[in-house]
Amino acid sequence: MKIDDLEQMESEDLRTLSSAERRRFLKFGLAVTGMYLGGSVLSLTSAQTVLAAGVVPELGKYAYTPHYSMVLREKLCIDCERCKDACVKTNHVPAYGFRTTILEKRRSLGGDNFETTFMPVLCNHCNRPPCVRVCPTTATWKDEKTGIVVMNPSRCIGCKTCMTACPYNARYFKEETRAVDKCDFCFEAKLSKGETTTACVEACPADVRVFGDLADPKSRVYQLVHSPETMVWVLRPETGAVPNVFYINS
Amino acid sequence: MKKILLLMVVGVFLFSGALLSASGDVQVADDYDEDTYGPKDPIIWVKPVKSVVFHHKTHTMDAGLDCDSCHDELFAMEAGAAEENEDFTMATLYEGGYCGACHDGSTAFASNTRCTTCHIGVRGHARLLGDDGSAAKGH
Repeated sequence: MKIDDLEQMESEDLRTLSSAERRRFLKFGLAVTGMYLGGSVLSLTSAQTVLAAGVVPELGKYAYTPHYSMVLREKLCIDCERCKDACVKTNHVPAYGFRTTILEKRRSLGGDNFETTFMPVLCNHCNRPPCVRVCPTTATWKDEKTGIVVMNPSRCIGCKTCMTACPYNARYFKEETRAVDKCDFCFEAKLSKGETTTACVEACPADVRVFGDLADPKSRVYQLVHSPETMVWVLRPETGAVPNVFYINS
Repeated sequence: MKKILLLMVVGVFLFSGALLSASGDVQVADDYDEDTYGPKDPIIWVKPVKSVVFHHKTHTMDAGLDCDSCHDELFAMEAGAAEENEDFTMATLYEGGYCGACHDGSTAFASNTRCTTCHIGVRGHARLLGDDGSAAKGH
């Protein structure tokens, strides 16, 4: 194209834009902004009804049969760590990792006095497990029947994304298998062989840990979390993972 | 004039330093007498469960008990003798044995309450030994 021809062409600069065209563009921009703004305002306000429902599901709203769950009667824990020892022995847990452990809270009673509370922690076998969602090789999943979050070590590539995603720090990388390892409610070691409880529950001398089928109204776990005047809580409910490990104080 | 100012400033520093170090020393003078009040170091039992602590100071110097309040009827003088007994359990305590003689809910808090006051656990034991356990807990 020659310079002469170019000079003959119509200008494409802003002066030639019609007012109507500008308005159409602005309207489109505002509509997009409004969509996003409206969405975030809605997401901020709708949380109230979710929180009011509490952490304990109603009967008939359990997704699995049996719906395995653990109740921890927290104030009875004395950190004797027999549960840890039993878990290590049963599930061949190396010294650098854990499937369950005991955390410690200290509250001042004034002066030099403290009250200690020991908090047993383990995999919460969440109904919406963040670890399962992030696994790129589906090496971890929620068992369709029992709801236990299980691992297939041979499919694990050791990317450790699940370890980052877990709100409960319940996973560790096991050097021996070159795979991530975690609590499976003793499914492999005990439940699949016909036993009805986990190693940690068996070992606890203070009856802190209670394991069972939450969907069965006759089970002890069901009765504990549904008994009146009982404070029931879960760890980190704000993550939306819907955990199946409940803590009570009675 | 400058020298006087400098001297004053140095003087203030020295004085406040002396004050601070003196206030730290006050607590060191301890009137705890092992012959009257029993061993200063805590007793730690690891059987039948890890780990339970007993402070002589809390019971003798603070609570005003005598040695023969507990020795030798409830506890032998010999360290670690109680935990060798088969009946050194919470069940015995509830029946008034060992600590349960006083820890019955009327003389002192009941044995089946305030568990972690005495049960310091593996973590509490490690802390008493001066090891916070952080090295082993890496994860």
